[in-house]
Amino acid sequence: MPRLVAEAVTKTFGADGTSVAAVQGASLAIDRGDFVAITGHSGSGKTTLLSMLGGLSRPSSGRVLFDGTDLYRFDGDALSEYRCLNVGFVFQFASLLSALTARENLLLPARFRPSPRGGAELEARALELLELVGLRDRADAYPFELSGGQQRRVAIARAFMNEPQLILADEPTGDLDEETEAEVMKLFRAMNEQRGTAFVLVTHDTGLARQAGRRAEMHRGVLREL
Amino acid sequence: MAKEFTQLSHAVRNLRRRPTRTAILVAAIGLLVSALVFALSFVRRVESSIRTASDRLGADLLVVPTGSRGAAEDVLLDNAVKTFYMDRSVVERVRAVKGVARVTSQTYLATLAGGCCDVPETIVAAFDQESDFVVAPWLPGKLGKKLEKGEAVVGSESAFNIRVGLTQVDGRLFGKTFRIVGVLEKTGTGLDTAIFVDEKNVDELLRSGTARSPPGSVSVVFAKVDAGEDPARVAGVIEDTIIEADAVARRDVGQTVLRAFGDVRRVFLVTFVLASVLAACLAWAVFSGVAHERIREIGLMRAIGAKESHVVKLFLLEVVLVGALGSLLGVLAGTGLSLVVVRGFDILKAASAGLGVADRLAIGALGLALGTGICVVGALSPIRSTRKTEPLVVLKGD
Repeated sequence: MPRLVAEAVTKTFGADGTSVAAVQGASLAIDRGDFVAITGHSGSGKTTLLSMLGGLSRPSSGRVLFDGTDLYRFDGDALSEYRCLNVGFVFQFASLLSALTARENLLLPARFRPSPRGGAELEARALELLELVGLRDRADAYPFELSGGQQRRVAIARAFMNEPQLILADEPTGDLDEETEAEVMKLFRAMNEQRGTAFVLVTHDTGLARQAGRRAEMHRGVLREL
Repeated sequence: MAKEFTQLSHAVRNLRRRPTRTAILVAAIGLLVSALVFALSFVRRVESSIRTASDRLGADLLVVPTGSRGAAEDVLLDNAVKTFYMDRSVVERVRAVKGVARVTSQTYLATLAGGCCDVPETIVAAFDQESDFVVAPWLPGKLGKKLEKGEAVVGSESAFNIRVGLTQVDGRLFGKTFRIVGVLEKTGTGLDTAIFVDEKNVDELLRSGTARSPPGSVSVVFAKVDAGEDPARVAGVIEDTIIEADAVARRDVGQTVLRAFGDVRRVFLVTFVLASVLAACLAWAVFSGVAHERIREIGLMRAIGAKESHVVKLFLLEVVLVGALGSLLGVLAGTGLSLVVVRGFDILKAASAGLGVADRLAIGALGLALGTGICVVGALSPIRSTRKTEPLVVLKGD
């Protein structure tokens, strides 16, 4: 994986005078095989930092470099391609398309690839990932037919669909029971160790964070690596 | 085996999420297109019927009394019962015009509605059997002889009216009994409702006092021109030469009706334009709602790698599907309506000429294109607005 570097990124919201800095001068470098956990209270800026690393939100100042190139110099399509090919997102909130089944939700990001692979190969991969999160038998269920935890597991499986080099996960185990949480973390570690997939995990759970190779903490928008 | 997941199946699935809303838009487009198809079929059918009827008269030119052109068209194309006369000498004067190859004439007598024992009100056409080339082609060979005095043949619809079947029957015209000895094939012209007798009967009918027409008169002269001759030019020469006659080339027959029909076409057009604006507004409202409702989904798609073009294509596909489905149903409904209801219109009662397959396909294709196009135009603004959706919205939660 090419190096992803956040260089003194700051994100402020609101107009002059009433603006709030959600992230202040955060710097972070992520290489292949890294497993970084970021902890912090609600509103400390964790999610905002994650969104800037993922190409979702332009920093007010500072740069995010991917393979030495400033992400936010990319045009809209190039930024979409960056997200599609390099990043797998696990969002904090429910993030499945309600009109699609679990299997189809997994197939969706594969359809956005510049050179989509064959249908049979993708189908097999989607089912394999659903198997990994224990939902192979729920492949044709719609989101409303799944529990919150099951929906979260489908979203986790979807993040791996395009075999990204980086997973950005925002409270990925928030809705899960302890057993499933352990399964998911096991899956993350396996991907990290066997394939070198880098992880940036945002969590309140310090126990979960301790399983990461690197830890950082955010407090009032300031990132401090522990 | 699970169905393959494609952009089309995604679009269909999205439309099925709100079946009532989708159905309303499909129905609106369908109604618009069915009205268009019905109107176009109607107009086209009237035009083609008039054209076909004038072609079937078998003459290149009609010569009628000055000022009677409209009445003649009413009789010949629309089964009207009207009479008009000019001096019989016109027949020979037309024959003498350079470029005229053959002429024949007919004299129209109107029976009276409700006259005791007579056939219902209709035109009785007295024709010259020796020179005739208008009636004979529609008389099946089974007659096998010339009409005698006291004999008549009837148009296909008159036969129905006076209940002529396979057997010969008698009918009373102007108080005189005529033996009906034959029935013309359906022509799709005014001939279908007329009764034909040899012109030798006319003098006797006039003497009886029940039929009224000036002595020594004819109603219309039919002419064929020489091969390669321009009927319009010959018509012009006839009008210059014979002051008391109007000459109409075959291609101009029915123009009076068609000109009057132009207003109807304009009404159709204005109605269609207004309905189109309404349908486009409905498409705008529906897809604005859809775009707003799916803002998080669009943000999510963008976040996991969709380009603007992916989102736009998906929405466009949904719009095209709705437009095409509505248009297809509209084409079917409009075509069905034009087939079923059209007989209720007097203007088409005499029309035997239905629309050909090519005409129907062309009208159907136009309906499909316009219906789908109007839906796309209406939804264009909401579709464009989806491009502005930032992927960041997905992080903001419910």
